[in-house]
Amino acid sequence: MQSVSTLERVLRGIAITVIILFFMFPILWIFLMSFQTNETILRVPPSIFFEPTLVNYKALISGRLEGSTATLEIAFMSNLYNSLFLSVTSVTVGLLLGVPAAYAFARLKFRGSEDIAFTLLSFRFAPPLLVLLPLTIYFQQIGLADTYVGLIWVYQLIVLPLILWIVRGYFEDIPADIEYAYRIAGHGFWATFRRIALPLAGPGIAAAGLLAFIFAWNNFIFALVLASADKQPVTVGALAFITASGINYGQIAAGIILSIAPTFALALYAQRYLVEGLSLGAVKG
Amino acid sequence: MYEREKRLAKSYIEGKISRRGMLRGMASMGVTAATAGVLVNAAATQALAQNGFDWKKHAGTTVKLLLNQHPYADAMIANIENFKELTGMEVEYDIFPEDVYFDKVTAALSSGSSEYDAFMTGAYMTWTYGPAGWIDDLNEYIGDSEKTNPDYDWDDMLQGVRDSCAWNGQPGGALGSADAKQWCIPWGYEQNNLTYNSRMFQEAGLSIPTNLDELVATAGEANSKLDGVYGIGVRGSRSWATIHPGFLSAYANFGQKDLNVGDDGKLSAAMNTDVSRAMHEKWVQMIQESGAPDWATHTWYQAGTDLGAGKSAMIFDADILGYFMNGGENAEAGNLSFAPFAANPDADAPTPNIWIWSLAMASASKQKDAAWYFMQWASGPEHGLFGATEMDFVNPVRKSVWADAGFTSRLDSSYPGYVEMHDLSAPGAKIHFTAQPLFFDLTTEWAATLQKMVANEVPVDEGLDQLAQSVDRQLKEAGLG
Amino acid sequence: MTTATAGDPPKRTFKISKRYLPYLLSLPALLTCIGILIPFFTAVAYSLQRYRLSQPWAREYNWGANYLNFLSDPSFWNTLKVSLTYAFLTVGIELLLGLGIALLLQKRTRFNNFVSIMLLMPLMTAPALASLMWKLMTNPGFGILSYFAELLGIEDMRWASDPSTAMLTVVIVDVWVYTPFIMILLLAGLRSLPRQPFEAAELDGVPRLFVFWRITLPMLTPFLLTATLFRVIESIQQFDIIYAMTQGGPGDTLTVFQVEAYLNFFQSTNVGRSAALLMILWAITYFLSSVFIKNWLRLRERARGEA
Repeated sequence: MQSVSTLERVLRGIAITVIILFFMFPILWIFLMSFQTNETILRVPPSIFFEPTLVNYKALISGRLEGSTATLEIAFMSNLYNSLFLSVTSVTVGLLLGVPAAYAFARLKFRGSEDIAFTLLSFRFAPPLLVLLPLTIYFQQIGLADTYVGLIWVYQLIVLPLILWIVRGYFEDIPADIEYAYRIAGHGFWATFRRIALPLAGPGIAAAGLLAFIFAWNNFIFALVLASADKQPVTVGALAFITASGINYGQIAAGIILSIAPTFALALYAQRYLVEGLSLGAVKG
Repeated sequence: MYEREKRLAKSYIEGKISRRGMLRGMASMGVTAATAGVLVNAAATQALAQNGFDWKKHAGTTVKLLLNQHPYADAMIANIENFKELTGMEVEYDIFPEDVYFDKVTAALSSGSSEYDAFMTGAYMTWTYGPAGWIDDLNEYIGDSEKTNPDYDWDDMLQGVRDSCAWNGQPGGALGSADAKQWCIPWGYEQNNLTYNSRMFQEAGLSIPTNLDELVATAGEANSKLDGVYGIGVRGSRSWATIHPGFLSAYANFGQKDLNVGDDGKLSAAMNTDVSRAMHEKWVQMIQESGAPDWATHTWYQAGTDLGAGKSAMIFDADILGYFMNGGENAEAGNLSFAPFAANPDADAPTPNIWIWSLAMASASKQKDAAWYFMQWASGPEHGLFGATEMDFVNPVRKSVWADAGFTSRLDSSYPGYVEMHDLSAPGAKIHFTAQPLFFDLTTEWAATLQKMVANEVPVDEGLDQLAQSVDRQLKEAGLG
Repeated sequence: MTTATAGDPPKRTFKISKRYLPYLLSLPALLTCIGILIPFFTAVAYSLQRYRLSQPWAREYNWGANYLNFLSDPSFWNTLKVSLTYAFLTVGIELLLGLGIALLLQKRTRFNNFVSIMLLMPLMTAPALASLMWKLMTNPGFGILSYFAELLGIEDMRWASDPSTAMLTVVIVDVWVYTPFIMILLLAGLRSLPRQPFEAAELDGVPRLFVFWRITLPMLTPFLLTATLFRVIESIQQFDIIYAMTQGGPGDTLTVFQVEAYLNFFQSTNVGRSAALLMILWAITYFLSSVFIKNWLRLRERARGEA
């Protein structure tokens, strides 16, 4: 018994190490690249020894890229801000709309509930390209083209189905008798929803919100097609480092690192909440 | 501000002092060369303001541009204050990275948006935009002395380049024909020729290839003699962009065409001739033997990056790609040289297919006359000279700029062979494709076929026959064949 | 389990509450999305037309002709095959890997929690940008992964540039980006499972493999289905990674639906064909999803019944 568990521990350790290597190595490599210029990035063979430089970050943050012949203005920080703004607002709106709906589907079986739920999910089926051309035309007509409101609306296609279906599952996993008991004690529907159901589904909501945030963050095509240059997210902005005088790998890498940072910070912050909340099982058991 | 400097610039323009004298004077006032350039252009602009044209007609109007992130756009922006001063107009612009630029243009134009008045485009794209009704025929403006200033000098544009932007809209219609519409104004253009690493060529004792056979051999030699270097960079990604640079330039040099235009105006595939087969075979062999290992994913920037980083001995691609790789922080900056290239041993001169960054006017624009004011200034001789001498506005499309000694001597000093290469190739430089609406479908498939040939998935002759069949089928389906 | 009998009463109680309440709760979400239906139906109309932006004069309804043409179009069947292969490979690998990682990290320790968040990083890297980096890392000259491959004795590995390894390469990138998505959903699922059955099984000395197959996996199925559902939808519609890595090449190795439709739309401006392709993609997604959801609902019901 003892030897098996040692063997298992070793195997587990190896497995975790391999997994961390596979998933984290590219991130580490990008991180290292962000402190280099093409001169050292494009070496044969590649090497981890280099003199770190902050030029990439300086260029991104100051918005001035000193090129070979000219200074290039780049709007990376405003791209970053756009990403942040679009993702945060979309997810907020998505949560406000999606969580009550998810609760309704999970708790209140009503006529047509599954149909409505499926319809909502089905918006996720439509390939974005399919609706883009008509959408640009209609947005043009109703004045939503090139507005944040229009973008946040379209972003709901990404975030809402995700939030809805994940949160719904969590609501269904909460034993209904807790809410029932609370209702019996004379509390109204909204009070029950707010004080009991919401906190219990907290981790689910946090996880769904975080994932929706990531997917909104990574979106590319909507803003590109629907909005002008001043509303573009980092995903579009970072392509600006492919310039006529070569592709600036260092700057793209720095751009990626800067664009991961807010999401990662959010995840780390939510982690405590996620972890505490994930003791949901205890409630059930 | 800058009053003394402006006076100095003015006397330079009027020929009272030399350029060097002017620059020295400027330097003594603490003005850098680039700023001096802008000031000189300010003086030139002032001269322009005196030419009797009503420049202020649209004062107070704001035009909005859609621009690709490119040195041409940079050069324009650096000089934009002069335009504003000249006309009293405002200029706004949205810049998008090249990777997504044309998606943005297509989206903006197809939605009927009136947001952008003018935009940057390539000539190929106008084969879609023109028939789609998204852009205006600019002949109406160029020929109108009310709208175009007397010093615009349209005939100063290189003929092949100018014609390549004009098409009558008939599938298969010759570019630059008498009934052609000027869909866009050439701004800057690229010839496809050789850029080679002279350090490596010297090291390996290579000489400059003068036809396709020699190119294949030289690339092979470079590949084997130089350590960690592959012989030749050409594009290979699954895209129309793989066909139009070096490949089509070589192809056209053998007198080959992409499509035949019948007497009835019907189009049919023309790439399965014997000459084409032989050319394809050599091309495929060249890539297999000495092309980039990741050729099949190579776009222009990989081809360029590899050359600049010393991974390839030469490229057969856009001359300005070589130009940019010869500067900046590229490892091989300063080592690159340029040579014209005629693939066909029997050809008199190179016939580079060209890419033309140009300016087009959106039909949906609500202030076309004002937009044209911007376009004629931006494509005019003054800005052209400023951009070419002070910024990276190469290659200029105007003969007057190529005739400018300041410009050519600047090129000669840091880009050996560049001017010669250009001048030798310019007469044959034009778009060698047949203008028709399926351009992107057919060239993308052509690229995919090349990829299959290089990967030995299909033999060259069979691949070409399949391609020709598919092209004919698609042309028929679209009612063109 | 205490929850066993408690399933019904609250439902009854809630039914007493105002009848329009559920609609009140769900309609805002629905209304927000319903606006998309208009462009959707417009797109359906496009798919029934001969419609090239570059030939506006030839635009007309040709009804099913775009679809019929697919039947005899080898490139369409290739697209279908490639898309399904890609979806099957990526989702399959990601499920196995994601489940494996979730099981490894199941225990609530600080280390596991941190690792689980850290592993989300690839997901946070926008696929369009991540692919640029992968392209560099797999570059035969400068690429660190090519260097490693060489150290391992794999000479001349051409990754995405070679038809025989292109699919493998993009699948690796997809696995790298999206496995964390499945992992985090399953981890949340695993950690929310009731402890009782596991404790009981441990007391009885039931073999762990048996516990996994007979208790863990069945209870985890709804989570697996949710994760799979979202991944399948996304994966069959994959665009960013494939387009950035290979643009659908080499040859026609990776011309998945969205890449074809994208090229058809943005480059060829063949709106009719593009829309028809996407409609078929939509239909496939719709079909797969409804199967998943039916099973999901059934499993949910059963879980509730058993509980």
